[in-house]
Amino acid sequence: MVREPTTVDGTTEGGQTSSEAPSLEAAARGRTLWRRFFQLSPIAMLYILGLVLPYLYLLRMSFNKYDAMFVFREAFALDNYAKLLSDTFYLQIVGETIWLGLAVTFFTLIVGYPIAWQIARCGPRMKSFLLAAVLSPLLINLVVRTYGWLALLGDNGIINGWLLDWGLVGTPLPLSNNFWTVVVGLGHVTLPFMVLSLVSVMESLSSQVIEAAESLGASVLRIFTDVVWPLTWAGVGAGSILVFCFSISAFVTPALLGGGHVSTVSTLIYEQFTFSVNWPLGSALVFVLLAMNMIVILLHARLFRQEV
Amino acid sequence: MIGRTALALWTTCTLIFLLGPLVIIVAGSFTEAPHITFPPEGFTLQWYEKLMGREDFLRSFIDSLVLAVAATVAATLLGTIAAIAMARENFVGREFFRAFLMSPLILPTVVTGVALFQFIRLLEIPSNMLGLVIGHTLITLPYVIRTVGAAIVGLDTSLAEAAESLGAKPLRVLFQVVMPAIAPAILVSIIFAFIVSFDQVTISIFLTGPDVTTLPIRIFTYIEFAIDPMIAAVSTLLIIFAYLLVVGLERAFGLDRVFGQKG
Repeated sequence: MVREPTTVDGTTEGGQTSSEAPSLEAAARGRTLWRRFFQLSPIAMLYILGLVLPYLYLLRMSFNKYDAMFVFREAFALDNYAKLLSDTFYLQIVGETIWLGLAVTFFTLIVGYPIAWQIARCGPRMKSFLLAAVLSPLLINLVVRTYGWLALLGDNGIINGWLLDWGLVGTPLPLSNNFWTVVVGLGHVTLPFMVLSLVSVMESLSSQVIEAAESLGASVLRIFTDVVWPLTWAGVGAGSILVFCFSISAFVTPALLGGGHVSTVSTLIYEQFTFSVNWPLGSALVFVLLAMNMIVILLHARLFRQEV
Repeated sequence: MIGRTALALWTTCTLIFLLGPLVIIVAGSFTEAPHITFPPEGFTLQWYEKLMGREDFLRSFIDSLVLAVAATVAATLLGTIAAIAMARENFVGREFFRAFLMSPLILPTVVTGVALFQFIRLLEIPSNMLGLVIGHTLITLPYVIRTVGAAIVGLDTSLAEAAESLGAKPLRVLFQVVMPAIAPAILVSIIFAFIVSFDQVTISIFLTGPDVTTLPIRIFTYIEFAIDPMIAAVSTLLIIFAYLLVVGLERAFGLDRVFGQKG
């Protein structure tokens, strides 16, 4: 993506430094620098004010100590991190968050892989129909989608209504407010990301490769494990990391579909800042969540560097 | 061809899974029963009537609209300037700067929300709207920068060069050559930014206050206590609203192009 350094606004820089007029050249470069500074400073200001300083403030807050009377006491201690990493209550929630991320990733992979295959292999008309169908939920408000699942799975929701009407069960099944409801809800939100990642890789997979394997007598299973899966591995990785990072950081879906029974790091952060008002601990949790995201991204880079 | 049938069956099931909740909401908003049933019992518009009588929902709709317009204007202006400044000029740390500008997409929204919420409390800013506009602008900016940036990179350099060699001043090149060429991308990013801001929940939940409550947050707090078909009615209206925006987008530019840029 290296372009000729001719600028939109007409200045040429680098490359052909003319020996006769070095001062002119330098002046032009100086002007470009200033112009760039003025163009980019408003957005940089916004990011510093709205992103960098708030994150730094949270980082500072995470070293403070909790104080029941004054919310927090200025300190420079690692108490909060020590508490998070030693208390089994918090470790369990971190574990459950990772488990949730894995479950959603597997769910979207299993549901999404076949449909992505279908999208990559079918005709153009079918393809745009399927793509539109897969993408359309992306444009529906998150709360509205979650509400749809509540209406479907709740205690007096539609599925329980059917089961009761048909006399299959006497009391409503506990379909909502549990871990698996959250998995289904998050799977619904993240499926488009997984499918899009898979489709982009599957489209570049030549059907001749499969035909070759077929003509050499490979079974369907063998073609999948030895040919298709390794060649779509990059798409699986890209989709998985998107879905996993989205799931472990998601807040709205676990909060609503979990009904207070499913705790993740995100819902815990929310509680620490709203109800229990332990800001220092909440801030430390924030950096635990960021660290989890970073680890996943780094792991992904290691795992998939060769294959991409 | 058992494999092909199984694949078609699986695809159908997945489509039901994807679209089922939406169909149920739309159908449920017309039911006569006091809770959502499927198929709906009878047909009534009473839930829409009830919704129209709710002043809090109407106020929230206006709040969301004002906020989305403010964030969209800010994000489009800042994002377009940044995209133009970054696309052509090679400077030290450009890739780092670009990654920095895209970071709101990667950072967990819940964390950005908390961070802004704490910081605004620290500065004792009395207005919730200001915090919301800053938060929404940050969240929508990456979409603008990506969409407009892609259009500039795809631009034919020789056009600008031709204008320059004919003696056009830099600003004239910008407004008469570059801007018209990237205008469609700017329009797409305006619609994108608007949708992202209007639908934003996680950031808003920390920044709303007594003076501003956006519509998604109003729905969120309502369904924590009750699930009645009135929420199905407001959800249906939101679905229609999103649908109209997307159909407009598709008519104007083609959906796959738009999503292709979103990645």
